[in-house]
Amino acid sequence: MPPNPDVSAISRRDALRHMACGFGYMAAAGIASGTANPLQSRVPHVAPKAKRVIFLFMAGGVSQVDSFDYKPLLHKNDGRMLDFTDQRILAKTGMGSNQRVMKSLWDFKQRGQNGAWVSELFPHMAKHTDDYCIIRSMHTEGVAHGPATLFLHTGSTNFIRPSMGAWINYGLGTENQDMPGFISLSPALGNGGPRNYGNAFLPAAYQGTAVGRAGMKAADIGIKNLENTLQSPEQRRRQFDLLQAMNQEQCQNLPQNTELEAVLGSYELAWRMQANAPEVLDISNESAATKALYGIDEEPTDNYGRQCLMARRMAEAGVRFIQVNYSDNSNNPAWDQHNDMPEHKEHALAVDKPVAGLLTDLKQRGLLEDTLVWWGGEFGRTPYAQKNGTGRDHNPTGFTVWLAGGGVKPGLVYGATDEFGQYAIENKVHMHDLHATILHLLGMDHERLTFRHEGRDFRLTDVHGSVVHDIIA
Amino acid sequence: MLPQSPFQRRLAPLVLALLATTIGLPAIADEWSGHAMEHFEKRIRPLLVEKCIECHGPEKQKGGLRLDIREGWETGGDNGPALVPGDLDRSRIIQAVRYDDPDFQMPPKTKLSKDAIADLEEWVALGAPDPRSGELARKRPSGMSVEEGRSFWSFRPIANPDPPVVDNTDETLTEIDRFIQAKQHERGLTQNPPAAPADLARRAYFTLIGLPPTPEQVDAFAADRRPDAFERLVDELLQSPHFGERWGRHWLDVARFAESSGGGRTLLFKDAWRYRDYVIEQFNADTPFDQFVREQIAGDLLDTDSPSQRSQQLVATAFLALGPTNYEQQDKQLLRYDVIDEQIDTLGKAFLGMTLSCARCHDHKFDPVPTADYYALAGIFKSTRTLFNYTDNVARWVDTPLPLEGDAAETVAAAEAQRNQLKPRLDRLEAERRVRTQDIVSPPKPGLPKLDRHFPGLVLDDMKAEAYGEWKFSQFSQNYLNEGYLHDGNERKGYKSLTFETQIPLSGQYEVRIAYSELANRSTRTPVTVGHAGGELKILVDQQKPPSQYGRFHSLGQFRFEAGSTPFVQVTNENTDGYVVVDGIQWLLVEEDPSSAPSNPDERLKQLSAAIKKQEKALAPVNKILKARPLAMTVKEDPKPSDSAIRIRGVESRKGDIVPRGFLQVATFDGVPEIPDHASGRVELADWIVHPDNPLTTRVLANRIWTWLFGSGIVSSVDNLGTTGDAPSHPELLDYLAQRIQKNNWSLKTLIREIMLTRAWQASAAPNPEAQAIDADNRLLASFPKRRLDAEQLRDAILAASGALDTTYLGPNIVGAGEINANSTAAQNVEYNYIFEDTRRSVYTPAFRVNRHELFELFDFANANFTFGRRATSTVALQALYLLNNPFVIEQSEIAAKALLAHDLDTNGQIEHAFKTTLGRSPTPNERQLVGQFLEDGQNESALTGWSSVFQSLFGSVDFRYLN
Repeated sequence: MPPNPDVSAISRRDALRHMACGFGYMAAAGIASGTANPLQSRVPHVAPKAKRVIFLFMAGGVSQVDSFDYKPLLHKNDGRMLDFTDQRILAKTGMGSNQRVMKSLWDFKQRGQNGAWVSELFPHMAKHTDDYCIIRSMHTEGVAHGPATLFLHTGSTNFIRPSMGAWINYGLGTENQDMPGFISLSPALGNGGPRNYGNAFLPAAYQGTAVGRAGMKAADIGIKNLENTLQSPEQRRRQFDLLQAMNQEQCQNLPQNTELEAVLGSYELAWRMQANAPEVLDISNESAATKALYGIDEEPTDNYGRQCLMARRMAEAGVRFIQVNYSDNSNNPAWDQHNDMPEHKEHALAVDKPVAGLLTDLKQRGLLEDTLVWWGGEFGRTPYAQKNGTGRDHNPTGFTVWLAGGGVKPGLVYGATDEFGQYAIENKVHMHDLHATILHLLGMDHERLTFRHEGRDFRLTDVHGSVVHDIIA
Repeated sequence: MLPQSPFQRRLAPLVLALLATTIGLPAIADEWSGHAMEHFEKRIRPLLVEKCIECHGPEKQKGGLRLDIREGWETGGDNGPALVPGDLDRSRIIQAVRYDDPDFQMPPKTKLSKDAIADLEEWVALGAPDPRSGELARKRPSGMSVEEGRSFWSFRPIANPDPPVVDNTDETLTEIDRFIQAKQHERGLTQNPPAAPADLARRAYFTLIGLPPTPEQVDAFAADRRPDAFERLVDELLQSPHFGERWGRHWLDVARFAESSGGGRTLLFKDAWRYRDYVIEQFNADTPFDQFVREQIAGDLLDTDSPSQRSQQLVATAFLALGPTNYEQQDKQLLRYDVIDEQIDTLGKAFLGMTLSCARCHDHKFDPVPTADYYALAGIFKSTRTLFNYTDNVARWVDTPLPLEGDAAETVAAAEAQRNQLKPRLDRLEAERRVRTQDIVSPPKPGLPKLDRHFPGLVLDDMKAEAYGEWKFSQFSQNYLNEGYLHDGNERKGYKSLTFETQIPLSGQYEVRIAYSELANRSTRTPVTVGHAGGELKILVDQQKPPSQYGRFHSLGQFRFEAGSTPFVQVTNENTDGYVVVDGIQWLLVEEDPSSAPSNPDERLKQLSAAIKKQEKALAPVNKILKARPLAMTVKEDPKPSDSAIRIRGVESRKGDIVPRGFLQVATFDGVPEIPDHASGRVELADWIVHPDNPLTTRVLANRIWTWLFGSGIVSSVDNLGTTGDAPSHPELLDYLAQRIQKNNWSLKTLIREIMLTRAWQASAAPNPEAQAIDADNRLLASFPKRRLDAEQLRDAILAASGALDTTYLGPNIVGAGEINANSTAAQNVEYNYIFEDTRRSVYTPAFRVNRHELFELFDFANANFTFGRRATSTVALQALYLLNNPFVIEQSEIAAKALLAHDLDTNGQIEHAFKTTLGRSPTPNERQLVGQFLEDGQNESALTGWSSVFQSLFGSVDFRYLN
């Protein structure tokens, strides 16, 4: 990588100071459209407990009954045919059906001070049960990946709605004008693709910036167009000065044109981002101990480990919403084990250590206090075998996620599913409720965070959702 | 003719309701017994306060329901009374707390304790004593009644205003200018002087054809001193095929055009390019807009003169089909209504400027659109097929082969004739082989489903039966053919039947069998009627006994059938005493008629196999021809058009009153077309939209054209002319333009020309300080609004300036789409792995919903997920990064530099040429000096490097990115 061009060329700065468009405004405008800076940091509705979110997205749907939701009855009834309401058959036919109970392939143990049950699938995460709050009573909408993934990100299975990170940036602005406020690391193209980090009808400034995409090696990813290997640093600097000098000339007779000022400001910001953003994404200067914590430079944890470490660096740099995707571009993403439950192990090995490493690292740096970490998928899996086979089908009616830091009660185990782990029955938390709670933790009232579009005030939670106060510290 | 159903009786209406009314409701609480009141006070009141009132109380009324006062549950919410005193089964509150219906559970988070549920049941059984009384706030009325709506500006009949008299003796002032200047004069403003010729030329080129003028064209226009020089330029550009490429793209934004579905599992719309080409061609041909509307809504139903016209009209209906459908949605009835909703939403915004989808769940909160109007429109689209069927796991759209002309038509016609001849023959041979193949299939292992084709004879699965009444699908027993089996739910005895039909290939004696799984709860006397050559026979089957054949089939006896006949087997649930279960029917040949029986059966089988192979071989090339027929994404009429029921709160399964198919009441006028019973109503819908008395359509269209010419509309919210939209800045002018559309016979080019020949359009974009002070948004157009090039203009302008633009007109442009199965992972990978390399105009750039061209994504390209009549203009650093560092920009800069260096010019000439190629004007002295200095400073760089940098700086400069 060539060294970054010098960003503080004095001559240019002097030139800009005398520009007709007015650099004074420009500096404040940052990446603005129109007259006000859309990403200006804003005052929240209620006292915030978290400043930012790291969402560790487990695409495809982790099986709750093989990980965090211990159901002894599954062992007892393993192999028996029992009546269940399968969501897929229900959606198509409105009928119940008869299914073969399937026990967990992994043994459960009680862990930590709180004695939470976690299976052998996640030995590293299991050491942190006192750090996070396990919600075992999640339920959501959408039986297939596409609808459910869109629902998780946008609060709608099918309609075009802004994604959660876009709403949060709209509500809070950014802490660092030199970085995007919403970054999705290695997002998949499938199951909604860009809609999962899109702004829909919100202004474009709030859209997520994809860094890399699913399937790319984490070592190779970066913000697009940040680097330029085709031109020498000297050429780039000279060319940039020429561009801005021409722009100055062309704006000469246009006093007070805020839009043009914003264009010139966007070039200045781009120039600064070239210098600053690569450093945020560059983990090469991290200590060997830190890298080892995340499982970097060893398999199979290197890839997700790098992403988790980048996420921490972004959190430090003030990125508001960071999503770390464990996903791929297929229609049966990552955790989607319809006919091969043992494969869950491969995915667990890839994410377990990096996620635990991230928690340790955030904690030791004091970042966990105001960083909300959310781990989970778009739905869970059935407690019975799919089509009498060796895998489990999708289950949106009951599944587990966990939240750490950011004002959530650590060590709490909240809610419960039925005796087989299929339906959430106690202290149910709908995805809308989770959205409302996360907004609340960030200081926003989900009923007041609205945007008027086509004559209607839209919300992330539509007309639903209530804050789960029980889990807030 | 076999009987469709043996059940002609109608259910006598039950009068259970009488029971409920006799219980009555006490007027005052005193009438209640002490015990009942105590129960309420001790058990129910605290329970309601703790568990219900937060969402169903004075603050919030979810579902419209209050439970803090008696009147609340008496009146109830959206679904009527929440409670019927004394009647547990009809009290929705009891259904909800019992948690039986997974879609209707209260409280939503946690089921109440058993005791609490029992308390509530007791309370209802006691007659629901409730002393709490209060005034129920009347339901918030919807924003506007239909009557009130008719006087809102956009629903009023279009006026025919006279252009105001402006204090100006200039006779060359156009009527449009008089409207504009009158408003300016009211506010004491003066129109800017005309733009400089170079600015005007660049503005006209980009506006009409989306491309910059060449340096020669700039010079030619500047040199043209004729008074009508600009008029000539406009006429010339309107005739350019590039006009349709630019203006067709405007319409593609409105039509939320895309070449893949996006959403959950994205599917490739490999034939959507035909619709894009259709739109471009209509704009170039200046097809009257009313015709354009008719074709897009009902093209498949219109009369045609030729196969090519038929093709065009079929292709046009893709307008309804290419939305962001989530084909993977598992609840197919919900999907069906989601598709309808998307169609109504698009149609409403595109043609009527109305946000109709708000009315899916409730009367429109702001506009005069009751829910009934929404479902009147929904009936039209429910009677239209947009999805191929409602059963596929991943649904599909409707592909229609396009009619052909000339040799191609003959080839296909011949192939079709051949197939019609060959296919039945092949089917007959295969049926004969099936009945002659008597191989015994080994009994299926318990618990393992087997497919119908694993059994000899003619086997029909339960899914192939024609069902009457509601049959339930099940997999409860593990013993079934294919996916599962059907049962009658042990209810509505005498009202359900399943009828199977087959074709008999050989005359002879057959054994007929029924497949089912036995169980103790089954009917012991299931009536099965077998139709055969000698008549009908009804047999009673004891379904508690295990079937004798492979544990799956039960013999109904042996019957004679004639070759070519289509006998039936019918199973009913009349007079049955348990579950009636049906998994399939089998006809097995026992003895063939001697007259047709072959002497050597084995030999005959061999012959059959050979004959089948031969037929298949003959069919292969025929099928290949038919498969290669051009296809279009279309819609078609549903065979059974019907009205739609209102969905309460938009929930698909909660049905309300049925609404006759129709249009918006607020835009009703004399001569509204009537929808015949046998038709979906799309033709009439199109007729209603383009009817001269429809107040919305021409206003919306005139406003769109104005927007595409000026960058902002007379009404800024171009897709919303309803009460929540913006007010028009020039209401009389809008009506004048709407009238012009009709007078011009719906010609868009005529109106575009009229507007461009105004002084307002030709005014300078220089700042007008007076206007900025009192009209900051420039709605009065004292100056021409300076505009940013949009994504396509930017990309095309870079390519045009470098000389790399490929101007191929029309045709598909997705590499690898060809004959790929659109519903496959391979097709998805075409999109996911797509590398955008072509240099054709941006209108042809593959318009995927997921994998978008990077430049489009960054520079505010239309959101292809909904109607987008006006693009946003955002300014973000990622755009600047693209222009600074993206290889496309760097490469094109280098190509432009190479082209420049090929000219024999001195430095001054080079600078002049570079500016004219990119900015359409000469450099200012300062610019000339800056570039000259830059080149001089870079002496140690090659000329190519230096000039590449100059071009890239020009591409990034404000004057390149904006139109003056």
